[in-house]
Amino acid sequence: MGEVIVVTSGKGGVGKTTTTANLGTGLAMAGKQVVMVDTDIGLRNLDVVLGLENRIVYDIVDVVRENCRLKQALIKDKRYENMYLLPAAQTKDKTAVKEEQMKVLCARLKEEFEYVIIDCPAGIEHGFKNAIAGANQAIVVTTPEVSAVRDADRIIGLLEAAGIYEPKLIINRIRPNMVQSGDMMAVEDILEILSIDLLGIVPDDDTIIISTNQGEPAVTDNNSKAGRAYKNIVKRICGENVPLMILTDNVGFFARVKSFFGNK
Amino acid sequence: METKISPANTNGDAVLLKGTLRSGQSVEYPGNVVVLGDVNPGAEIIADGHIVVFGALRGVVHAGAQGDDTASITALELAPTQLRIATHITRPPDGMAENGPPHPEKALIKDGMVMIEKYVAPK
Repeated sequence: MGEVIVVTSGKGGVGKTTTTANLGTGLAMAGKQVVMVDTDIGLRNLDVVLGLENRIVYDIVDVVRENCRLKQALIKDKRYENMYLLPAAQTKDKTAVKEEQMKVLCARLKEEFEYVIIDCPAGIEHGFKNAIAGANQAIVVTTPEVSAVRDADRIIGLLEAAGIYEPKLIINRIRPNMVQSGDMMAVEDILEILSIDLLGIVPDDDTIIISTNQGEPAVTDNNSKAGRAYKNIVKRICGENVPLMILTDNVGFFARVKSFFGNK
Repeated sequence: METKISPANTNGDAVLLKGTLRSGQSVEYPGNVVVLGDVNPGAEIIADGHIVVFGALRGVVHAGAQGDDTASITALELAPTQLRIATHITRPPDGMAENGPPHPEKALIKDGMVMIEKYVAPK
């Protein structure tokens, strides 16, 4: 039986879909049987980020309405044959799927896959409830902004109320220079408020925008800092103990010379 | 010292909440409320009696909600979004600098004003 992990955040635009795509791809690269489920019905994006948009024939609504078989709706990835996507419908809305149906769907998927990763829509309404209905674990994504942390806190409360305990935290889009100068919340500040386990930190990285536009998850690119951060997170999900990435190694040449001479 | 008789200190009824109160969570109780954990921004506690938080208080709290102005609010770290006792409403002054490392503080009404003082265990 596989794990059903929901990736959620409350606030929009913090990187749920990017995180889902990268963790899913990373797990597939590690040889796991993976399926990603997009539950953002009406605003589907995961297919675009994965570069699989043009292969969609059936979607999650077709599956729960039994217009097609589950196998027909699953899209096999073009790079990794052990990675699948169950896309959201674009012409329907969140009410097209019920929580009970999601539970049944997740139960079926976890029989066949080691990891079922669910991309949750923003918000705390119907779409969120659907997304978490069949999950047994959760990853909460936040950015170092007060508003995102506030929403993450709310989401953690709602997850616990729904019986999903000990969600893990990913802090996305950290800008080390701003943290150092005291203009951005530090990892410790966020952990103090949310008080849940940290699964990983991901630096703000321009290569993410490029890879998202090209439909190639950053985790496949060894030169991408964010990609390496996601790779570390994948290892942690697989049970490996990987130290947190040190983000401040992109200091200027002079600072490096200075620190070389012990002049910090 | 004379102890005033009032609903807040005659009513021995209290509820004990274990764990962090998170944004969106709300507790209303017709007595005293004790929290073993933090109260995060966006969470609220409304109690007819006293409120004691064994952790950081960052949300909105209302003690003596039925009008009892002898009610108090005590926390290991008192940094609320807003603090209400009976009919009084206060908020931390804008741009308040951090006042050192967190220490227990108590809020109560004195001379018709909400006062924050260092918490000293009663002798």
